[in-house]
Amino acid sequence: MAFNYDEYLRLEKMPTLWCWGCGDGIVLKAFVRAVDKLQIPKDDICVVSGIGCSGRFSSYVDFNTIHTTHGRTPAYATGVKLANPDKTVVCVTGDGDALAIGGNHTIHAARRNIDITFIVIQNFIYGLTNSQTSPTTPQGMWTVTQKIGNIDPAFDACRLVEAAGASFVAREAVTKPKKLEKVIVEALKHKGFAYVDALTNCHINLGRKNKMVSAMETLDWIDSITLTKPKYDALSEEEKKKYLPTGILKQDTEAEEYCELYQRIIDAHQGKRAKITREEFDQKITI
Amino acid sequence: MAVMTAPENTPVWVNTDRCKACDICVDACPAGVLSMRPDPHSTLGANIEIVYAEACIGCNECELSCPDFAIYVAEKKEYKFAKLTDSAKARQEAIEKNGYRLPEDWKEA
Repeated sequence: MAFNYDEYLRLEKMPTLWCWGCGDGIVLKAFVRAVDKLQIPKDDICVVSGIGCSGRFSSYVDFNTIHTTHGRTPAYATGVKLANPDKTVVCVTGDGDALAIGGNHTIHAARRNIDITFIVIQNFIYGLTNSQTSPTTPQGMWTVTQKIGNIDPAFDACRLVEAAGASFVAREAVTKPKKLEKVIVEALKHKGFAYVDALTNCHINLGRKNKMVSAMETLDWIDSITLTKPKYDALSEEEKKKYLPTGILKQDTEAEEYCELYQRIIDAHQGKRAKITREEFDQKITI
Repeated sequence: MAVMTAPENTPVWVNTDRCKACDICVDACPAGVLSMRPDPHSTLGANIEIVYAEACIGCNECELSCPDFAIYVAEKKEYKFAKLTDSAKARQEAIEKNGYRLPEDWKEA
């Protein structure tokens, strides 16, 4: 016996349109295994994807899927989740989609702590449109828009969403597929905004001009810039700048989830809300 | 769990129609089981081949690292996998040095 991925894939779309060795396929595989591990029925999942190489993700999985406009995945997913609070909603986007074009939507979905699993396939470049600088491109790397080497400081997306209010934040690289699968399992189980930063390789558009010609060289580079969280925490402040911590970085199970808060509005409009006193009103306002 | 039936007495098998010849699985294997073979019909001129199936240790790394759903590994309870030997490690090293292809004149030590 072996794991049968075909049960979760749209076989008429295979093989994938991604380049040879693209890490997006490894994320897809880890996601399918995670869903199977949790035994979530196929009809109870909605996968929302945006524009970019990562946008193809929703075409290949045999769940309810939407391929939406650029950067607006959290907006569409919020709508899907509010209408179907008992279903699992998963966003799959790229680093440009989630952090540049849709940056505003991402931070506000995180602020509301709505129960969405948000997987960002991060390849450090705009891969689909051929090597323009993305918000996560490391300084010094060659891109077609910064030909002497990127001068823009890179985003640490995990810290961004954590500050915005996400209750689950994790990062893992495709070089550790077993760990990536575990992280996605935890993210799917979490009630609240679960952010997963999946570091992948784009050896075609990032690697080729940055002395990492093959998929393996780009993956080795990703390995060289990541450290597990305990090891990362032990480093000095100066050394921390060279690495990205991996693993579950934040997990807050106490935070209030948005669909539950929204239920109060539904109750009020259905006339189920009891009359509140002045004291209760004062207590309700929190900063 | 979504399961498929494994071919009889086979530790690892491939779907060559899906392979894009990215070499990731060959790089991930610790035991020199996999190698690329020349294939004029493939876009990159190569395709995956299992060269030493009997050396497979069942670590599953190739299956999990394959982005194109082309490799499958049997479950540990159904197949008795080999142990990692020095000769398997040497073969793996030779394959990696030779551009992820098993050297044509390769002889087992």
